[in-house]
Amino acid sequence: MTMLILVTAGIGSIALGAIVTVARISPLQVLRSAAFLYVQFFVNVPLLALLILAVFALPAAGFILPLVPTIIIVLAVYEAAYVSEALRSGVNTVPQGQIEAARALGLTFGKSLRWVIVPQAFRSVIQPLGNIMIALVMNTSLAAVVGVIELTAHVNKINFDYAQPVLLYTTGGLIYMAIALTIGLLTGRLERKLVIAR
Amino acid sequence: MHMGAMTRRTALATAVAASLSLALSACSMDQMALPGTSSTSHDAMEAIYKSAPVAKPELILPGWTMETIKKRGKLVVASALDAPLVSQQNPANPQDVDGFDADLAKLLAIYILGKPEVEWVPSTAETREALLSNGTVDVVFGTYTITTKRAQQVSFAGPYFMSGLAVAVKSDNTTIKGAEDLASKNVIVQTGAPSVTRVPEKVPTAKLMPFATTPGSVQALVQGRGDAFVQDYVLLASQSSTNKDIKVVGAPFTEEPYGVGLKHGDAEFKTFVNTWLSTMQEQGIWSKVWKNTLGTVGDTPMPTPPAIGSVPGS
Repeated sequence: MTMLILVTAGIGSIALGAIVTVARISPLQVLRSAAFLYVQFFVNVPLLALLILAVFALPAAGFILPLVPTIIIVLAVYEAAYVSEALRSGVNTVPQGQIEAARALGLTFGKSLRWVIVPQAFRSVIQPLGNIMIALVMNTSLAAVVGVIELTAHVNKINFDYAQPVLLYTTGGLIYMAIALTIGLLTGRLERKLVIAR
Repeated sequence: MHMGAMTRRTALATAVAASLSLALSACSMDQMALPGTSSTSHDAMEAIYKSAPVAKPELILPGWTMETIKKRGKLVVASALDAPLVSQQNPANPQDVDGFDADLAKLLAIYILGKPEVEWVPSTAETREALLSNGTVDVVFGTYTITTKRAQQVSFAGPYFMSGLAVAVKSDNTTIKGAEDLASKNVIVQTGAPSVTRVPEKVPTAKLMPFATTPGSVQALVQGRGDAFVQDYVLLASQSSTNKDIKVVGAPFTEEPYGVGLKHGDAEFKTFVNTWLSTMQEQGIWSKVWKNTLGTVGDTPMPTPPAIGSVPGS
């Protein structure tokens, strides 16, 4: 369950984060402001508060989704704010001259994004994105509070029976560590492969 | 430009702060309206404290845990602090904790110290054993079910109360009439409550949904996220007495003997607490505390206090 939440929320957050980044650098003031507010909101509200609001307050307003999709969506929109900040710094590494050259060649804003800016932006922030995914691994544990049986909830359950908190939570921690280290190693490899020689 | 950004940020911060404080005040309002925290029950407890027994000096010998507590001048108690009628902390005054378990803990403090001087440490199912074994607290007093597995980690005095798990459903539900109807249903349980292990034992096909708190679990039941909520029958009676959207169905389907958690192997302290519990029962103080707390809701008849040492692990 932890892996399911991690993979779906991870892909969702990168996709959504890319859209927010594009909005933040778009020529339209309205889109830029909306993306700015989005990032500020999700960076400044604790994830647990968002989860509890989504699980208990949204149904009161008439939106009710099963628990697992709710949690995946909340994690994806939350992490997307961080992804978009990382990507924006990636965009800033693309030399201004390249953007001007792309426009001079007759590429539209959309085309220069698609073929020039976004690919380079992604390549330069692989390691920071990896760190955000590692943070996401840790954040999936909050799902245990709102009724989803993932890794932490399993540990809670076993501990309730066996009363061995130190042993069990150390084991749980080691499993999280293994997942995080794997992501770290993978992103390290990916970065070496894709790094832009300048 | 700089000012513009500042104003936008301030406006955003104000909006967020306003909505959060609204949410927070809504929470504390709920807590205020809980039963069993009225001033009349407070006065009744004060009267009980005045007449409560104090241990004879020969029961507290040098080198024993009781003497350490007496020298310190207060009893350090771990409890959940968020369970209405059992141990409920007043959000406006953290020293003010009421309920069946909390009031008994204060009476134990009187027995040792002569005054209800208690330091409260919030505990969860994850921390109880560690708090006892590393000496952070003297006793764990909060719906702590005696089991033989736990008795390998901690010592239990008691049992001081026989509880049981019951099933609550939404008021308009007519298909679930008891635990036997829970097969392949979504069953809400509370993290760290006995239902986490008892429901799968009783109904292996039930799908568990563990929520962290009782209010959260009740909310999830009302919103239809699960078909039923399994919890201690006394706590469910308390919830359904104030919330007309839920009802309790069927009789309790397990026995949960609650004990006082003590450091593993502290035989003198265990005997001491057991002696105190017997005294509480003999002098009728146990019944008075029950009437004042758990007995204020529902129409549960007064239970008979369990015999000390009557369950495996105690």
